[in-house]
Amino acid sequence: MENLEIEGSHKNFFIPTVSFNAKTGICEISGESFLEDTVEFYKQIIEWLERYIDEVKGPIAFIVKLSYFNTSTSRSLLDILNLLKDYEDEGGEVVVNWHFDENDVDMEEDIDDYIIDTGLDINKIPY
Amino acid sequence: MDAQLNSNILNLYRTFGDNTPLSYKGPIDDHILQVIGTYIEGLLKHSPKAGKKVFKIFIELAQNISYYSAERSKLANNKDIGTGMVLISEQAEYYTFMTGNLVKTDDIISIIEKSEVINSLDREELREYKREQRKLPPGKKGGAHIGLIQVALTSSNPLDIEVNPVDEEHSFFSIAVKIDK
Repeated sequence: MENLEIEGSHKNFFIPTVSFNAKTGICEISGESFLEDTVEFYKQIIEWLERYIDEVKGPIAFIVKLSYFNTSTSRSLLDILNLLKDYEDEGGEVVVNWHFDENDVDMEEDIDDYIIDTGLDINKIPY
Repeated sequence: MDAQLNSNILNLYRTFGDNTPLSYKGPIDDHILQVIGTYIEGLLKHSPKAGKKVFKIFIELAQNISYYSAERSKLANNKDIGTGMVLISEQAEYYTFMTGNLVKTDDIISIIEKSEVINSLDREELREYKREQRKLPPGKKGGAHIGLIQVALTSSNPLDIEVNPVDEEHSFFSIAVKIDK
């Protein structure tokens, strides 16, 4: 299975950098996310994860290093986390590490809300 | 030259005064979002915390105009873009971020109701409301129904909403949010 690599940019819209590795299961998303078509962008990420879960059945370490995302993105992130939770419930090995600026209180609240929403153990890693 | 028009624009300029670093009226497409966004980032470098909040609020409210404004502009690239106003004013202790746009009067009730719900909730309740609404199926353009809730959370201040009827079908919807420095 191919890796998923998307180079981020900060132009008219903010495209996050995506680096999902099919061998190691280390899946990192970083940068900022504010897109013209949020649903379409995250569809490819969700489809990659679904294929990985279906075919590779390996561990997943989802690493989030987003310094900013808009509310449309926040909904797509919820879809990803729900997918990972389902995988974990079926016996998959899932770790979620969420890096955030320790001064960004709003971001920490966002992570807490995802923990409440999904029931996933999300490791909050301040920097 | 039309002297009347020229004095009108001077009056408008003076009304905004020195404490309005940014005002815009027109179609809000991705280029405008970028230009104003970059401007806010630069303007607020000296107060990064408030700056980030103003930026986040700008993105949510400007996108609402671009998607949902009842006044549309057809651009040369044939894109159909919502039109509205964006204003930032700066006081010693806070920024005020304002937007205004036309809304179909039929749609206005639900926006007012939602704003009233938002203003009646404390922070914990607001977070719960956001989680509830985010679970609903996505709206038009992949919206998450939580733009206004997020604006209230980000600013930590109530939404100041006003609606003025313009004609039989349309109302002017304006929202002002205070962001403490």
